[in-house]
Amino acid sequence: MVIDFSTYYDLPSSMDSFFEELWRPSAISQRRMAYPPVNISEDEENIIVASEIPGMDTEDIDLTLNEKSLTIKGSKKNEVGNYYRQERPTGNFQRIINLNIPVQVDAVRASMKDGVLRVVLPKAKECRPVTIAIDEQ
Amino acid sequence: MANDIEKRTPSTLARFRPNTDILEREDGFHIFMDMPGVGKDGLSIDLRENELEVRGRAVYPREENAKALHVEFGDGEYVRTFTISDGVDREGIRASLKKGLLELFLPKAARFKPRRIEIQAG
Repeated sequence: MVIDFSTYYDLPSSMDSFFEELWRPSAISQRRMAYPPVNISEDEENIIVASEIPGMDTEDIDLTLNEKSLTIKGSKKNEVGNYYRQERPTGNFQRIINLNIPVQVDAVRASMKDGVLRVVLPKAKECRPVTIAIDEQ
Repeated sequence: MANDIEKRTPSTLARFRPNTDILEREDGFHIFMDMPGVGKDGLSIDLRENELEVRGRAVYPREENAKALHVEFGDGEYVRTFTISDGVDREGIRASLKKGLLELFLPKAARFKPRRIEIQAG
């Protein structure tokens, strides 16, 4: 072989990765469970969904919003060549994110930067907390 | 020297081994590394003797006032080292980072390239 890729046989670093798995911050509990990884957060007005999908063109990612769920779908192609090592996932992927509250369908925005997809779903007005003024009588 | 200092500074970021594909084509070796969230500023590629070290930092902006409901990824540093043999033309190594995917191209040194041997008719 022309290149001797040390990562094949490097015992210390494979031990390292074993310990990395053990000491992984507990906040990141479900990494590697499903592809692509998804983060969901919310503030008062929006639900924010972020997902790591590196190396994909935006045209190749299919983002669908149903009444109660957001679906991220796509397909990753194989590279052409003689593989020595393949770790990057290929093939079709799909993730469905359940939305527990209604969102303003027309106002949903999605953007992609450095392989990270970010979808901002504004909550429907009727779901936002409203402060009610009390009349003193 | 600067590198020594850097190494001693403990990194608070979680370290990850990026998923990597290594493949050979006629022109040389192509390495693809998934580094979502890494921009050009966060990436460093160093070649020291036979070691090619790739580091990428992915730091996501804090969402102000947002509450995390479900977390599967976060800030981190991708680190991976490759050993390169003499078969690679060091001067010709190229890297490009697009959409969170790093592509390294390691051309074969001229003498390792496949070549056709002419048969002399005797």
